[in-house]
Amino acid sequence: MSDDGGLWLLMAGPAGATGLYWFLYRHYRNTDKSHAFEHETAVEAKPVTGSDEKIGQVKGTRETRIAGDNVGAYRTRVQRHGDDTERGK
Amino acid sequence: MTNAKMPPPPPPYTGPGSPQDVPPTPGSYPIDPDTLPEPIRNEVLAPDPVAIDTSAPELKDGLNRCPKCGATDIRHKVGSDLLVCLYCRNEWDGARVEEEFGFGTGLDDLSGTIMASGAGDIAADAVNLMSFKCSGCGAEVTVNTQSQMTARCHWCRHVFGVNEKVANGAVPDAVLPFHIKKDDAVARIRQFVDKRRMFALKAFKEEFTPENVIAVYLPYMIVDGKASVDVAGQGEIETRRYTQGSGDKQKTYYDADVYRVGRHVDFTVDDLPLESSSERGNLDTGANTNNIINTILPFDTKNAVKWNASYLTGVSSEKRDRDVAHLRPRLEDQLLSIARAQVQSSVSRYDRGVRWEQERLDVHGTRWVSMYLPVWLYSYQQPGGKGSLLHYIAVNGRTGETMGSVPVQQWKLLLAALTVGSFLEGIALWILGNAS
Repeated sequence: MSDDGGLWLLMAGPAGATGLYWFLYRHYRNTDKSHAFEHETAVEAKPVTGSDEKIGQVKGTRETRIAGDNVGAYRTRVQRHGDDTERGK
Repeated sequence: MTNAKMPPPPPPYTGPGSPQDVPPTPGSYPIDPDTLPEPIRNEVLAPDPVAIDTSAPELKDGLNRCPKCGATDIRHKVGSDLLVCLYCRNEWDGARVEEEFGFGTGLDDLSGTIMASGAGDIAADAVNLMSFKCSGCGAEVTVNTQSQMTARCHWCRHVFGVNEKVANGAVPDAVLPFHIKKDDAVARIRQFVDKRRMFALKAFKEEFTPENVIAVYLPYMIVDGKASVDVAGQGEIETRRYTQGSGDKQKTYYDADVYRVGRHVDFTVDDLPLESSSERGNLDTGANTNNIINTILPFDTKNAVKWNASYLTGVSSEKRDRDVAHLRPRLEDQLLSIARAQVQSSVSRYDRGVRWEQERLDVHGTRWVSMYLPVWLYSYQQPGGKGSLLHYIAVNGRTGETMGSVPVQQWKLLLAALTVGSFLEGIALWILGNAS
């Protein structure tokens, strides 16, 4: 067994303890729950339009995902710009 | 064996586990329950209280059935407040605001900010205590609109309610009457807590009396909206995957094409509920458990009926204290989240994910209706100076959806975590010992 593999295996105890702690904590306290309004509200959307333009390549990265991937984090706000929102009308 | 380090600190307001994060899908578990010790697994996998599904497809029709025959072929009887069943000719009172004021139609034509009369701004000098002259005997009776909307005249026992619109925000446009009875709510709370007993705070278990649940009408703004959202960012598609090195030094590398991605979506939202009480709208999981009450949304607001204080007889209520202007940032935030969820399927070909960098929201029109929604609320005040916290268990008064916060006995939880951790570490050491 290599040092690397051994180290990973030794992490099993602390990782299992921490994982179980958080799992049970959330099961009891439900701090991660909220109204899933994205899916539980009646939304009627017109077909999504858009553009896709190739701008470059990445070679030989070891990352499995793009840096800052937020495609599933709907509630994380990014830079707002040029809003034309009817405020206070 | 295991390092006896302290558990990680509770999650901060915006961090993982807070309501700012997308909640997990119901029934999904971060850890596969099959890998857990049997007593814990049995508790976790016990059934949840059944909730009637009122998610988007069902909300669309908002069926109002004839109480006599169950038929849905129902028309407004012109010239009265009665509804008539075209099948059995039964007539009854039940003016749904949806048809009454046309709240369910014209979403595509929304423009500007339309406010129903009960959603108007709260006057700065409005008072909570209101005096009425009893129409039965002429005595002066005071109603504290902070928590009650009806009162009984202490002289002649005549019951009356606050029905006319007053400028303190206490009278909404509509009310959704309770459907879930107290016995049902108590049973659901009991079932919910029975799933969470092993590591619950001892005092909580000893003092647990679900019969003390109270019926309360909480204030919400129900918002229809029409909006357009543009999002822009970068996405990556994997083109090649290869490994270099050998044995333990083997590493995987990826090549990818980078794209500039832009998406545009026009959409309408029907009946999005927003808490219109500043206290209930504060979802800081570190300081309160209001996210529990947020979780039991949505309600079948399509079936709300025109305001009549008689619905609130014997039930307490909380007064609205937020105006449309206060809630607009929250609405914009939720509209953006909805749009991001809508465009997700259109970027599925970016298998290495998309990093959205900019977003733009155009709200074309909104319609605001204030409403009292029915909630069964059980509360437990966890004692202890700094760790003091008010835990709620809430049951949706229409669908029966149940959610709650059960205080935990920290030492028991730590002991269980350390025991399981030690067991895993023991296996790991055994494997390592045998391998070398």
